[in-house]
Amino acid sequence: MNNIIHHDSATKHVTGESVYINDMLVNNNMLLGKVVFSKHAHAKIKKIDFSEALKTKGVHAILTSVDIPGKNQMGPIVHDEFCLATDEVTFIGQAVALIAAESKEALLIAEQLIKIDYEPLEAILDIETAIAKNNLIAPPRKIERGDPETAMNKAPHIIKGELKTGGQEHWYLETQTALAVPREGKDIIIYASSQNPSETQAIVSEVLGVAKNEVEVEVKRMGGGFGGKETQGNHVAAWAALLANFTRCPVKIHLFRDDDQIMTGKRHRYFSKYEIGFDDNGKILAYKVELNADAGSSTDLSMSILERATLHADNAYFLPNVRIIGKAWKTNLPSNTAYRGFGGPQGIAVIENAIDRIAIFLKKDPAEIRYTNFYQHEKNNTTPYGETVENNRLFLMYDKIIESSEYFKRRKEIEKFNDENEFYKKGIALTPVKFGISFTTSFLNQAGALVNIYNDGTVLVNHGGTEMGQGLHTKMLQIASAELGISPDKIKVNATNTSKVPNTSPTAASSGSDINGMAVKNAIDILKSRISEVAVAEFEKLYPSDKTLKENIVFENDFIFDKQNPSNKISFEDIVKIAHFKQVSLSSTGFYKTPGIYFDREKGVGVPFFYFSFGMSVSEVMIDTLTGRHTLLRTDIIQDVGDSLNEDIDRGQIEGGFIQGVGWVTTEELKWDKKGNLLTHSPDTYKIPTVNDIPKDFRVELLKNVPNPGTIRKSKAVGEPPFMLAFSVWFAIKDAISAVGNHKIEPEFSLPATYEVILLCSEKLKKK
Amino acid sequence: MNNIVRFVLDNKIVEIDFFKKQELKPTTTVLNYLRSYPEHKGVKEGCAEGDCGACTIVVAELDKNEKLVYKTLDSCLVFLPMIHGKQLITVENLAIEGTKEKILHPVQQLMVETNGSQCGYCTPGIIMSLFGLYKNHNNPSREIIEDALTGNLCRCTGYQSIIEAAQKACTVKGKDHFSEKEKDVVKMLKNIAENKESLVLSTENQKYFKPFSLEEALIIRLENPDAIIINGSTDVALRQTKKNEHFAKILDISGVEELKTFYEDKDCYVFGSGISIEQVKNFSKETLPALYKMLSVFGSLQIRNIATIGGNAGSASPIGDTLPLLFAYGAKLKLTSGAGDRVIEIEDFIKGYRQTDLGNDELIKEIIIPKTDNSTKINSFKISKRKDLDISTVSGAFKLKLEQENVSEIILAYGGMAATTKRAVNTEKFLTGKKWSKKNVEEAMNIVAEEFTPLSDARSEAEFRTIAAKNLLMKFYIEN
Ligand SMILES: Cc1cc2nc3c(=O)[nH]c(=O)nc-3n(C[C@H](O)[C@H](O)[C@H](O)COP(=O)(O)OP(=O)(O)OC[C@H]3O[C@@H](n4cnc5c(N)ncnc54)[C@H](O)[C@@H]3O)c2cc1C
Ligand code: FES
Ligand code: FES
Repeated sequence: MNNIIHHDSATKHVTGESVYINDMLVNNNMLLGKVVFSKHAHAKIKKIDFSEALKTKGVHAILTSVDIPGKNQMGPIVHDEFCLATDEVTFIGQAVALIAAESKEALLIAEQLIKIDYEPLEAILDIETAIAKNNLIAPPRKIERGDPETAMNKAPHIIKGELKTGGQEHWYLETQTALAVPREGKDIIIYASSQNPSETQAIVSEVLGVAKNEVEVEVKRMGGGFGGKETQGNHVAAWAALLANFTRCPVKIHLFRDDDQIMTGKRHRYFSKYEIGFDDNGKILAYKVELNADAGSSTDLSMSILERATLHADNAYFLPNVRIIGKAWKTNLPSNTAYRGFGGPQGIAVIENAIDRIAIFLKKDPAEIRYTNFYQHEKNNTTPYGETVENNRLFLMYDKIIESSEYFKRRKEIEKFNDENEFYKKGIALTPVKFGISFTTSFLNQAGALVNIYNDGTVLVNHGGTEMGQGLHTKMLQIASAELGISPDKIKVNATNTSKVPNTSPTAASSGSDINGMAVKNAIDILKSRISEVAVAEFEKLYPSDKTLKENIVFENDFIFDKQNPSNKISFEDIVKIAHFKQVSLSSTGFYKTPGIYFDREKGVGVPFFYFSFGMSVSEVMIDTLTGRHTLLRTDIIQDVGDSLNEDIDRGQIEGGFIQGVGWVTTEELKWDKKGNLLTHSPDTYKIPTVNDIPKDFRVELLKNVPNPGTIRKSKAVGEPPFMLAFSVWFAIKDAISAVGNHKIEPEFSLPATYEVILLCSEKLKKK
Repeated sequence: MNNIVRFVLDNKIVEIDFFKKQELKPTTTVLNYLRSYPEHKGVKEGCAEGDCGACTIVVAELDKNEKLVYKTLDSCLVFLPMIHGKQLITVENLAIEGTKEKILHPVQQLMVETNGSQCGYCTPGIIMSLFGLYKNHNNPSREIIEDALTGNLCRCTGYQSIIEAAQKACTVKGKDHFSEKEKDVVKMLKNIAENKESLVLSTENQKYFKPFSLEEALIIRLENPDAIIINGSTDVALRQTKKNEHFAKILDISGVEELKTFYEDKDCYVFGSGISIEQVKNFSKETLPALYKMLSVFGSLQIRNIATIGGNAGSASPIGDTLPLLFAYGAKLKLTSGAGDRVIEIEDFIKGYRQTDLGNDELIKEIIIPKTDNSTKINSFKISKRKDLDISTVSGAFKLKLEQENVSEIILAYGGMAATTKRAVNTEKFLTGKKWSKKNVEEAMNIVAEEFTPLSDARSEAEFRTIAAKNLLMKFYIEN
């Protein structure tokens, strides 16, 4: 397959021609929309008075919950999220009213004039308080195997602990945006920045009280998503739709950066408790963990995310006796949502930290303890929920990366450095990732496509996945090109549109190429079969002496030929024309569902994943114990992507995912004040990695010759897994801090390891 | 009266008469101006506060030798009159029409080849930063590349591919189709510059002055003491872009050449208040290493290209990064008004939180940094959550003079520890006359901790600030 094709929008990106929703101008009647949101974490709304505001020049409409023609609801799974607040607000940033006006200035003036009377109520602003008040959002989840109680009691050593992992702001460069254009009758089209157009369609039809066939949603591209537009892109779409429906004008809402940061949900912060029993070699005998998630004010995807967290509580390790409990707690903060890794990072963090503690306790190298506990090949290879870990690459990767990174040699050098330096300390760590691929909500593992061949020989591919930069459309284009045997410049991948492919699943769970690629292939297979029949008939006419069989027709290099008689050929363009004259349909849908996966939530058992993705990384850092600053000196990564569909794109996903993870584990800190106001509400205080924060020496390798059976062109998903490779950075920092106390005392700290955390923890160890 | 803003865009002179173009006001940002045209929507807004670089553009202006110099800046912070007399280059200007397809600029071509864009939203800004790099450097080092890209956040790529594109593209000494058209542009810019009359731009509720001489500036200042002074506007613009404040009157001194001089005297260095932080950084590389060190982690290149040293002193922010250094150097400011000049110690100039001793009719003219002898050590430190493009949580600039092994003079100036830049006077007193030893420094650290009662905020808790402040003293000790 043509493996070095560039991102299909690359040229448009670099020339500034790529169109994002905020760049669109449908006509001169277009209005701008603004969301007026709650300034209280929890309060009764006593009165909303916008009579003055409505008089502002240029203002066309101000809407509140009473103006919603359909249901006041935008929860994606559980219907517990208001589109506009009614008589109560439950977080700062909750939408209360909407304004449509001709200019930004008019919006701002009107907003100032809207008077909302609140009566503040008590608010729950952290997990601890939610736990104390038993404010569960849904019943807990549990996965259990063996007899963790007895095994723990019998274990030679036990370590107990707690770990806090922070939330994370998505910080997609393009903030939430939507443009709604009313059409005749009740019809409306939404240009959305959404990872889930079908759900955007569902929510819009719900709030407008119209049928789904009256709502069309189109997604050309997103300026980044990372999970933040899996459900929460629906919100702006619903608000824009309400305003457009009311004013009968196109309405665009593009959230201002600070508003986006204040209003939208983030990665869930977790507060976890664990207990681990092990023997003298560091072999784990029993593991008990309770994962507590801050769900925020409504359910959103919290339970699915929690599910994935519990399903990743093992990471790469065989846990013979294990109990995993997951609880999601309701607080008065924006509803937390999907973010690359989808709970995986939160579950993995805890077991990795437990293992690290075993190493410090036993005075062994953490890499060796990790190795000791890896899933095995023949035995000890089933997960706590009963799925067998197949095609395990852990040992292969471990050997490779230990050697390529010169792990043990550098470990020695670091020890020497640390002996010689009082204030600077270095640390190194190796961490593995095993990540399950598939939606754990099994029915979502389906995809559709619509492939049209036009009678000039060009092809238009529609599929249900959305493009947010990950290169999905490019991969679909490559697949179509390879399957049809025609050059990529004859093919275009269309904007994702609910009227082309209906009832799609979100582009999430790293499954975009896996499932959509298969659906595209399915459509093409159908078309090829039809075209082959035409070709057989045609060859019979042209080459009557050679009997051509349908199964011998090959599509390659823009031609169709008979495998038996390769000189018997006809160009793709010609055969398409002939097929059209012969009244053969040149358009087909395609469909795919992932086979054989299921998960029983009640029992906590099943085969939720089609396969596992593996990765491993080694990072080295230096910290300055006087200032808390860390420097990422070097990172080595090995990632298993099966037979890569596009090495450049996969590499980009690995590097980008890893650096996003580095941000999560180091500088990205969310802070609220005592009233629930987000203090870090702009890039001034919320710090994602810059070009200077990437490893000074960054080596990324794709594992070679590891085809993945059963997937599209034997490839593997690559979107999320690399994110968790960044744990090597957090543990390298931990290793460096631990050196302050000569590795005698466990440094207890949370994630992210900000400068503050590093400094305060180092100070504590210095005193001991 | 000169009331038309003129600049070069898309190879021609654009004239803006705010009286006729009602949808624009003088303080409309270049970003919003560009985005109001369908053909210039490549430029993106990611934050409207100078922190993401999605809005990066390049401005070419005439230097003293009438050659064009290319600078990147964040168009979200720049008001239209600030680009008067300059060439504005946007991402749409880089590729040229070919016979079949567009011919990409080398920086664009390499970004395609290295897969340097994913979602593409940051890409126009990245391209412009790469273009700035391309025009200014040949075979740049990794440090120079990183510095050129610090002001551009990308959430998708992890930057590695972009660094690679930069390395591969910048190898031909900046030659491109812009080099060929330089003559025409110079002509247009000179044409604009011929009119030396101050720009006075009035609209219904805004008045904007842009003088081109110090004399004119001082007259306007005297007549309009209520006008907000801007130079780079990197401090002031945020009040509009983030807080929606309305500016009724602006005095923009960025066109005053007399404020952009730098010279070295026998016993001091003299910086005109209008010199950009980037220029100060470059001047100080050899001569004032502590200042250079601080300015290397000041904002981003886009910010440093327009932010001025006068603006840093003039904003009197407790986290203004030059201030602790100016304290440590014992710098003086020369203030000027129609009545004449006066010289004031920096410590007397800073009166309180964002308050200065600047008179109603005065402007800062020069910043005077005395030279020091070899026995004096000056060092600076900046602690921020993220190393680059971040505001100081705590900063320190320290001066030490030893006689034999004893401290004869010491200045410990801190930023971020109080409402203004503040010296740790008790600690200074304690150390003066004592031996400069680790033991004494350790004791002094405890006094530092007692001297300040810093705030807790989004950047850190007070406890962190206190510990960091005292640790900086130890850093000063071990780095000297
Ligand atoms: C993204 C970003 C990053 C930043 N990073 C840093 C940083 O790392 N460190 C740091 O210290 N600051 C930083 N700043 C703040 C700001 O850039 C600096 O304070 C800068 O030096 C201000 O200069 P200016 O010319 O842009 O000021 P302006 O905004 O033009 O003016 C600031 C103030 O100074 C007064 N003033 C300016 N010139 C004169 C004069 N000649 N006479 C009298 N008064 C005058 C004005 O009245 C005004 O009140 C940052 C700002 C942004 C937006
Ligand atoms: S929009 Fe972010 S720097 Fe200008
Ligand atoms: S490519 Fe998406 S932010 Fe840079």
